[in-house]
Formats: sequence, structure tokens, C-alpha cells
Amino acid sequence: MDVFSLEEESGCLMKSSRKKYMTGLMIFSLFLILSISGCWGKREVEDLAPLMGIGFDLGEKPGTYLVTQQYAKTKKGGNSGAETEERTLGAEASSVREAFDIVSKAAYRTPFMGSLKVIVIGEDVAKAGGFNNMLDFAQRFAEFRRSMYLVIARGKAEDVLNLKLRSEQLPALYIRSIIEGGHELSAFPMVRLGHYLTVLGTKSTAPILPVVEAVKDGDRIHYKAEKADEAGEIRIEGAGVLNGDQLVDFLNDEETKGYMWLEDDVFNRLINTVDLKESTVKFSGQVLKSNTRYKVKSDGENIGLNYQVRTSIAIDEVLGLDRQLSGSDWVELVKEAEESFAKVIQQECESAIKKQRELGFDFLGIGRHIEQRNPKYWKSLKERWKQEVSDFPVSFDVKVTVHHTGMSSSSATNSEGEGQD
Amino acid sequence: MGTTFLPIASLTTGVADRDGWMAVLPGFALGIPYGLMIMSLYKKYPQKNLLQMTEMLLGKWVCKIIGVLYILIMSYFGGLLLGQIGDIYESSIMPRTPIEMFYLGGLLLVLYLARSGIEVFTRFTEVVFPLIVIALVLNMGLSIPRIEQGELMPILGQGIIPIILAGSKVTPFVMEYILFLAGILPFLPADKQEFTSLKKGVWLAVFLVGFMNTLVVLMQIVIFGPSETVNLVYGLLVLGKMVEVSRTIAGVESLFLGAWFGALVIKICAFFFVVLWSLESLFGLKGTKSHLVVGMIFMGVALNNKRGPGLVVEIGLVDNYLIFPFASLWILTIWTFSHWKKKVGVS
Repeated sequence: MDVFSLEEESGCLMKSSRKKYMTGLMIFSLFLILSISGCWGKREVEDLAPLMGIGFDLGEKPGTYLVTQQYAKTKKGGNSGAETEERTLGAEASSVREAFDIVSKAAYRTPFMGSLKVIVIGEDVAKAGGFNNMLDFAQRFAEFRRSMYLVIARGKAEDVLNLKLRSEQLPALYIRSIIEGGHELSAFPMVRLGHYLTVLGTKSTAPILPVVEAVKDGDRIHYKAEKADEAGEIRIEGAGVLNGDQLVDFLNDEETKGYMWLEDDVFNRLINTVDLKESTVKFSGQVLKSNTRYKVKSDGENIGLNYQVRTSIAIDEVLGLDRQLSGSDWVELVKEAEESFAKVIQQECESAIKKQRELGFDFLGIGRHIEQRNPKYWKSLKERWKQEVSDFPVSFDVKVTVHHTGMSSSSATNSEGEGQD
Repeated sequence: MGTTFLPIASLTTGVADRDGWMAVLPGFALGIPYGLMIMSLYKKYPQKNLLQMTEMLLGKWVCKIIGVLYILIMSYFGGLLLGQIGDIYESSIMPRTPIEMFYLGGLLLVLYLARSGIEVFTRFTEVVFPLIVIALVLNMGLSIPRIEQGELMPILGQGIIPIILAGSKVTPFVMEYILFLAGILPFLPADKQEFTSLKKGVWLAVFLVGFMNTLVVLMQIVIFGPSETVNLVYGLLVLGKMVEVSRTIAGVESLFLGAWFGALVIKICAFFFVVLWSLESLFGLKGTKSHLVVGMIFMGVALNNKRGPGLVVEIGLVDNYLIFPFASLWILTIWTFSHWKKKVGVS
């Protein structure tokens, strides 16, 4: 190897290591530039007040809203740093920004919106309509996330957020926990801000929001209240149907459950046949799996929607058995249970449809289903859909399969003649 | 690809509604014939960029006019993209940082890359591109729990025409790439074997970016629905903000924005190079002074332009009414002229 080729090779090596150095330096500069600009607007976490919930009620002055803001504060002397206590402040203003401005003057920390979990819309605002103006800040300002939950309060949102709960939790966090545990019950819809805006965008579907309410002792739940006539618990039950952003009516528990079946939103449900009059033996069970499909069916002249609900249930409780059953009797009883559960599901679905027809608002999204399955027909229907909602033919096909009946193949029964009176 | 995935969902969905995602690949596919036209020209005139070919085929003055237009469009567009860096960061995660800091940061990196040369630039893209793809895939993958039922249906509910119209909104994006290709030609290898792999590269680039963008549009439609997809200025950033892993991890959009910053720098730097090469071809200008002058022009455009939705609209206007007609006419004319000359035997 001659001297020139050695020089050439070492030159190449130098060039290649220089390139590597330059590339490394460049990537380093990229991160350096990002970190330098990040220091500019930095806020120490100790100086922030994490916002957990907002409530909207009508203000006393026309055109104003009472905006209640619930912040979390680390509990002094708490067992862990995660323990929080509430700091709830309200301000009457014509815009949410203005309300934050008023509260910020009194707060010793800067409100941080990125932690917001729940927006509670008071019944009066919901009925008056126009709360989309209040939500605009939440969907526009970059600190917020569209994954926060929306609920309607029975009564005032301020009262819900100011509740002193027996569990000592923040009402906003408590509501969030109930909603996120909602899959266990599948008895009310889980509505995030993003979902609400998506439904609003469909035009044909009426949005629906779950309803939150304060629960006093004796209001179907019994507990030892610290002060008489003061609520210490929160419950989510039923839903509110909206026309745009105006509350039209509330759905009761049965109608909301019907909505959940038809919306294919049932994960695990507790279900019982106690109210069925036609059978003497009653069953309670847990939905293990459920699937709702729909078909747009035509009989030549009329077009209708057929819902097919397929549900798998585990029986947890059998009531009213007065004798020990043989194996074959048990199989028959399971068939009876399947029919009874199917009847209950169908009743819930029918009550949701009945409500939709009464209200004339398509909260079940039937218009969207028609559009999805038969867009050509939908084009001819969509202009007069508001008039058609109440009369559009809907049918059900509900089938239930009992997956298992728990740890026992029979129930405890009295000896013949004992305890019958 | 640098910035296309930010406005593409809003643009295509605005025209083709739920079928917007179907318009992306056909729209990008138009880039293939143009890319192949450039390759065939390069085969005939190796080591020449498109401006030099224009001079050889159409004469000095026509070349000067086209060249000046090319420089103006690329400088303005590059400046707008620099402005978009600040706009994205300011409106999403760093509202209190002066917007000029983002312009400056981006421009410094672009100047550094331009100064280091095309090889360092390509190595930079080699490192950053996988990060962009990983960030995009992660962003979309982690957004799957937010998918809304049935938002994609009905497919072809509006027929095929809106898809074609939406495709025309996508085509200018490919033309940006084609215009960069027109400038980078002299740096490409010219032997026969490499030439075949270059042609394959055109196909690969168009389909890879087209596929990624299709996914981006599809995810936004199934998560936001068509109406919200159109409303959102930077839908992908909102998607990033919705990512939550259990109750533990949220706010990962800042990480995604790091990768997007790299993507934007690549795109701006590509246009920066195009302007530098054109200045050198037309006026023989090169060296540090030309780098600084072009940098100042980019900065000036970024500082003096609109922000927010106005900026997105302005970028769209430049894409649709300047880049697309300019690139398609220029390349088609040169290619046709070169074939005609070959046919009639004019050298």
C-alpha cells in the first residue's frame, strides 16, 4: 500500500467521523432548541391549582352564567401526597374566560385546566339552552382535553360540586369514578366532550347526557346522615335528551337502559326479572357479553329498522323456587330464565323507543343507522326526518343465552309444609 | 410529508365527507407520473437540475422567468412553513413562549443543515423520518379507544365525484415534493442501476406517505366524525391530546410535537436548498451571504404572515393556486418539449 492511498483512506475515515459528529451535534441542537423555548413559559407544579370540575348554572343577571370551579388541593397531614381536599369557587360572568379571570384574582395559584375531569351542566342552563357557548372555551383552549366527561345535574351544578360527601372525596372526582366504573353497570351513557361534539355534528341525532344527582338518606339508599336533610352521596341515573344544546326531557332509568341496549353500549349489566308478572320464579343475573346489530328491512312498501340484541347472561340469583329441581327441570328453568331476561331487555328497548316517539327527537340515532345501511333511502328521508322520527317502524329480535347459573344447580328450599305461611 | 398530515384530514373531509380518506392515495398517485417525467428528463440530461434543463430546452430568458417564479414561490412557501412551526407550538403546548423563538429555533437548524450540505441533510432525514413514523403510528394506535362507532359508514355515500374533487386538494402536496426533486437532481446518481432504484424510490415515497396520510385521515374521521374533522385546525394535535394510557400517562402530545418539529425542519430545509440551488443556477450566487439572505426572507415571511386558521388557509392557497399549476405546467412543458425535440431531431 503506498503513502497516497493511506492518506486517502485516513482522509475518508476523518470525513466519515466528522459526518457522524455533525449528525450527532445536529440532533443534540434539535433537542436543545426545544428545551430552551420550553423554559420561557414554565410554571412550577407547586404554583398550579389543578382544576377538577366545572359547573354551569344560570346567573342572576340576564346573559350571565354562574361558573363553579372545583380545584384540588393537597391535603395537609394526609397519609399520602395523593390525598386531596376541595377548593370550590364560583363566579358570575358572561363568559367562562371571564369567570376564570374573576376567580384567579382570589386564588393564590394559577388555574391549570389540563386536569379537568368533569363538566357539570346545571338543569336551569340545560333547559334554557345555549350552553355550547360555555363549552366553546373547553374545546378551543389548548390546555383542555376532549376526554373530559359531561353530565347534567338535577338541580344546580353548584350544589352538586359543593356537596360534602361522606367519602370525603371531591365531588368532581367522585363523579368521574362513577362514570369510569359505569361499564360494570352499563346503565347510563358515558359522554366525553369529544363524543358530544361528534354527535352534534351528525345533525340528525339528538345528543344525550347522563344525569347526576345528590342523594339524601332514604332516597332509595339508606345511610346515617351527619345532618338531617343534607345529601352526602352522589348518584348517576337516567339521562337528559337534548335538542342541540337545550334539554328537552329526562329519560328514566328504564328508558336509559333501553338506550344502552340499542346503542350497543352494554358491557356488564346487572339485570333482574323481579317485575315480570307472568313468571313466578324470578331471576337476577349479570350480562357477560352483549351485542346489538341492526338491519334496515324492507317489505316492498315500507322500510323499517330491526334491532338484533344477542346477550349472554350468568344467573346470580333465583327467587321463588319452592322445591328441589331435577337435572331436566333445571334445564327447563334455564330456558324460562332466558325468555324472562329477553322480555325484560325488550321492555327496556321498547320504553326507549316509546320515549323517542313521544319526544320526536332521535336520541337513538336511528337516522344515522338508516344512513349507514341505506344511504340512498336516507337521502330521500333526511329532509323530513324530524317529522318521521315518531312513526318510523322499529322492531326487535332479542335472544338471551344463559352462560352459566353460578356455583349451585338448585336453591335452598324449605321442607314440604314448613315456612309456607 | 413534513406538514401534510396536519391539514390533510380537514381538507379532504371538507370535500368528500366520510369518504375523505379514500381521496388521499389517488391524490398522491398523481405525483408518480410527474416524478417519472423528471426521472426521464434526468436520464437525458444527467447532472443538471430542472432549471438548467429549461435553459437548454427553452432558452436563457424563459429559464430566468421560470427560475425567478420558482425562487419566489419556494421562498414564500418555506417562510409560511416556518411560520407554521411557531403557530403549532404556540397554539398547542407552549402558549407563553414568544412565537419568534420557534421561528428562530427552526431557522437556526435549517441554516445549520444547509451550511453542512446535502449529505448531512439526508442523514438528518434518515434519523428523523423513523421517529416521525413511530410518533404517528403511536399517536394513532393509542387513539384507538376513542373510535366512535359507525362514523366511517356509509362508504361511498356521496358517490365517487367528491372523492375525485378531494383528491385534487391532496395533489398540491405531492407537487411540493416534485419541486424539491426538480432541484436535487444533480446530487442524484446517474448510472443505470441506480436510476432504476431512483424510480422505485419515487413510487415508494408516494405510496408510503400516501398510506400514512390515509391512516391519519381515517383515524380522524372515525374519532371526531366528519363535521369535527373539518372544524379542527390541527386535528392530529387534538388527537395527541386525547391519548391517555390508563390514568397514568397523558399529555404525550409534547413528545409527538418533538417529532413533528423534525418533520417541519426537513420540509423547510428542502425548500431552503431549492432556493439556494436556484440562486446559484440563475445568478451564480452562493456562500454564506446567500444563506443569510434566504434565511432572512424566510424569517420575514414567517413574521409578517397570518397565524392560526388564516395561516392554514394561506398555505392551502399557495399550494392550490401557485405550487400545483406552476409545477404541473413547468414539468409537463419541459418533458413535452424534450420529447418533441427528440422526435424532430433538434439537438
